[in-house]
Amino acid sequence: MSTKGDKERIELLQGTLDLLILRTLRLGPTHGHAIAKAIEFTSDSVLQVEQGSLYPALHRLIKRGWISVEDGTSENNRRAKFYRLTAKGKRQLVVETSKWNKLAAAIAQVLRPAPQEGKP
Amino acid sequence: MTRRERMLHDLDEDIRGHIETETQDNIAQGMAPDEARRAAMLKFGNVTRVTEDTRDVWSWVWVEQLLQDLRYGLRMIWKFPGFTLVAVLTLALGIGANTAIFSVVYAVLLRPLPYRDASRLIVMNETTPRVGTLSVSYLNFLDWRKQSTAFAQMATVHQVGFNLTGVARPEVIRGLAVSPEFLAMVGVEPLTGRDFTAQEGNAGTEPVLILSYEMWQSHFGSDPSAVGKTMSLDGRPFTIVGVLPARFRWLDKMDVIEPLGVLLTNNTEVMERGNRGESIVVGRLAPGIGLAQARAEMDGIAARLAKEYPAADEGYGVEYKPIRDSFVGDSRPAILILFGAVLFVLLIACANVANLFLARGAGRTREIALRLAFGASRGRIVRQMLAESLIMAILGGTLGLAFAEGGIHAMARWIPSNMLSGTEVNLNGAVFAFVAALVIVAAFVFGLAPAVHSTKTDVQSDLKESGRTSSASAAQKRLGGALVVAEISLALILLTGAGLMMQSLYRLRAVDPGFRTERVLTMSLSLPDQQYGNDTAVLNFWQRALDGVRALPGVESAAVGTAVPLGGEHWRTDVVLEGMGELRPGDYPHPDMHIVSSDYWTTLGISLVRGRWFTAADDEKAPKVGIINALMARRLFAGSDPVGKRFMVGHRAKEEDWITIVGVAGDTKLYGLENPARLEVYLPFRQAPFGDMNVIVKSSVGSAALTSAVRAVVNAIDKDQPIAETATMEQLVSDSVATRRVTLVLLGLFSGLALLLAAIGIYGVISYSVAQRTQEIGIRVALGAQRSSLMSMILKQGLRTALLGIGIGLLAALGLTQLMKSLLFGIGATDPLTFISVAATLLFVALAASYLPARRAMRVDPLVALKYE
Repeated sequence: MSTKGDKERIELLQGTLDLLILRTLRLGPTHGHAIAKAIEFTSDSVLQVEQGSLYPALHRLIKRGWISVEDGTSENNRRAKFYRLTAKGKRQLVVETSKWNKLAAAIAQVLRPAPQEGKP
Repeated sequence: MTRRERMLHDLDEDIRGHIETETQDNIAQGMAPDEARRAAMLKFGNVTRVTEDTRDVWSWVWVEQLLQDLRYGLRMIWKFPGFTLVAVLTLALGIGANTAIFSVVYAVLLRPLPYRDASRLIVMNETTPRVGTLSVSYLNFLDWRKQSTAFAQMATVHQVGFNLTGVARPEVIRGLAVSPEFLAMVGVEPLTGRDFTAQEGNAGTEPVLILSYEMWQSHFGSDPSAVGKTMSLDGRPFTIVGVLPARFRWLDKMDVIEPLGVLLTNNTEVMERGNRGESIVVGRLAPGIGLAQARAEMDGIAARLAKEYPAADEGYGVEYKPIRDSFVGDSRPAILILFGAVLFVLLIACANVANLFLARGAGRTREIALRLAFGASRGRIVRQMLAESLIMAILGGTLGLAFAEGGIHAMARWIPSNMLSGTEVNLNGAVFAFVAALVIVAAFVFGLAPAVHSTKTDVQSDLKESGRTSSASAAQKRLGGALVVAEISLALILLTGAGLMMQSLYRLRAVDPGFRTERVLTMSLSLPDQQYGNDTAVLNFWQRALDGVRALPGVESAAVGTAVPLGGEHWRTDVVLEGMGELRPGDYPHPDMHIVSSDYWTTLGISLVRGRWFTAADDEKAPKVGIINALMARRLFAGSDPVGKRFMVGHRAKEEDWITIVGVAGDTKLYGLENPARLEVYLPFRQAPFGDMNVIVKSSVGSAALTSAVRAVVNAIDKDQPIAETATMEQLVSDSVATRRVTLVLLGLFSGLALLLAAIGIYGVISYSVAQRTQEIGIRVALGAQRSSLMSMILKQGLRTALLGIGIGLLAALGLTQLMKSLLFGIGATDPLTFISVAATLLFVALAASYLPARRAMRVDPLVALKYE
């Protein structure tokens, strides 16, 4: 029996990854490897996602209808799945971004008065 | 391929491609190929786990959980077989009764009619304020059809009857004479053969007919070569041109259909505008036209016709009914009331099962608290318990279907066919769907409250308590009490309904019908015009038949008459009294006319109020005489003696048409026991020869033997003359109250079941509470409480519950019995005596059900009770 705590932690990670994927795909449809690279690159390699965890996240987003998938050819002439942001996904990205900004602002607010306690 | 399969189909390849691309990137950055691959694999993570996680995104977690829950439910059900048996049986009774009644509801009220777009078909009759619904005059129909634009099509449908001759045993068959467009309009094609042609709507056409499917089966053994053969009807050869499909049915039972042209041939009567035979008009609304628009147009047409032909049409309007309503007839309220009643029974059954679950839930408090403590979510536990309810409901539903199957067979034999509108009641797809829905709804109704309730536990305290005596919480007692209160209220409503029906039927049967029914048999004969073209032939036939029947052994008296009380056929017409001024059409007295032989009244036991009956001397050569009924004497001859006064049938003013009144007969309930008497006039059959008569025989011989004896007499006179509609007067009376009787018996059955279930419910709740309080009671006894006071304590608990239920039930019953007003007779829907006696019955039953556990409480041994731990 999995405990609640476990689940919540995964939820949080998933949510963040979802946001990053959506944000990446806003620049145009691309394949899984390119998404991983883009996240790595745009976050200056700070956010190192285990690349495999991208795939459950991608499929979750497909299931929710936020992205769609199509066949395509990658830059090195490989057949690959291309993922594309849907209209619904674009709307969701706006929602998620503003949610994230609020959360970030709130956390920043909490951390500001006692910065010395913040870092482990 | 499902979406899930499609999505996962290329996953492996996608992942391989990803790793390959990463490897290439690494090589491009200067790594050795082996190292590049290893680094890529490392960066990707565990491929198997990623694949599984991705698959999980598409997997049906809830289905797997549901299967788990169902397995758990099945285990619980095997664990408590006694509990399961009681719950399943209770549910099976409720669901079975519902299934049986729903199959009637479906057959009569819901089953699609076998016509194309049946909701656009409207049945029209003519109507007058004085008489009510009437047939439609053929000439009026022609004008309607010509002038109406609201109806895309219109057809007339006449009822006709024939004597089927040229066969071993002649019989009466029923038919329709229809406009040739009729079948196409309702969207029915002959199974084999052809439809009527437009020419066959005109007088002078060759006699042809289309057989009903049943007639084709019974008389031609379903032989396809029947088409083209001939049938001899009323002595005329009809060519069979087609056979109707099995699904076709019409408002009345019918064996054949002939085209209108056959009916119109040599028929001068139908061409009189004032002649309203036995016909209705069926119209199909034009596209985009509603009934209201069509009605407005048709009312206008009728008003114009009334102006144009005042003698025939003044005061006549049009009555409209969607064809479904014409099929359902008067049984709709009775059927709906029974359906409501049976739903109540199911609710009571659900309440009882819910109480069982509650009681058992109390025993499982510890188990549930334990599971909650280990982190199970409340939702999951509720789901699990609901799964158990669902299994219980499915078992109950399955057993209920078996009950219903038996019940339907019993009902089909016993419910009069007119209550069922002639349709077949059976278990079919719609009924199964209903049962499936019922099972799911029932599972929630009885399962949800106890399930949710069981998870509202205080984990800490429940775990500390030893499982066995964990006391029922106050909330649980309230819920259990509320369920029993609901049961009692529902049972009270049903019992009140049954009580009112019982008294109605009793009062109805106590009504004096004005005639005696004992040992009287009636049958109907119809002499075809072709063979009996003149009055002498008709009179000879009836005289010989009467003489022959009178001579049969055991016959006390025999008569002929055009109508039998409560029988189907009636004839009414205007009469003019001597000295009466000129009235507006429609204001003349309009009595029921009977043409009878002299023994008619003695055979039926109708009383003579004044004057004399007809005698053999009142024949065609004697002066014209008539007898009126008491109501007509009172209403039209107030204060004076009608005997010796004269009247005339119709409006012809010829001296020889005057009829002298020689007697006054008692009133009869011609149109049903619940309906008031009407004006009646009797004429001697020798002075008004008529080919369609009933033979009425009072005899000491059983009806079967008498029927064949009468048939022998008739066939000795005319071997081709069939006998139809054989019935005893007792049957006719009994049939006339059949819908009420069936409603009463079923309602009685359901309310009895409701009472039993409610009693079990009270017993269960009180016993459970006594068991819970054993320890408390033991302490009370040890402290010197009187045993009698203990008993009254428990009885009071039962009494409180019962009184609350009775109070709520009485209020609800006051409202709901209004719905059955149309079924009541001679009693108000709020008859105080019924309400009081039903309430008293329920109170008594509730106290009796509390008495057994109360006595157990009284006998609690304090030592045992305190050691109970």
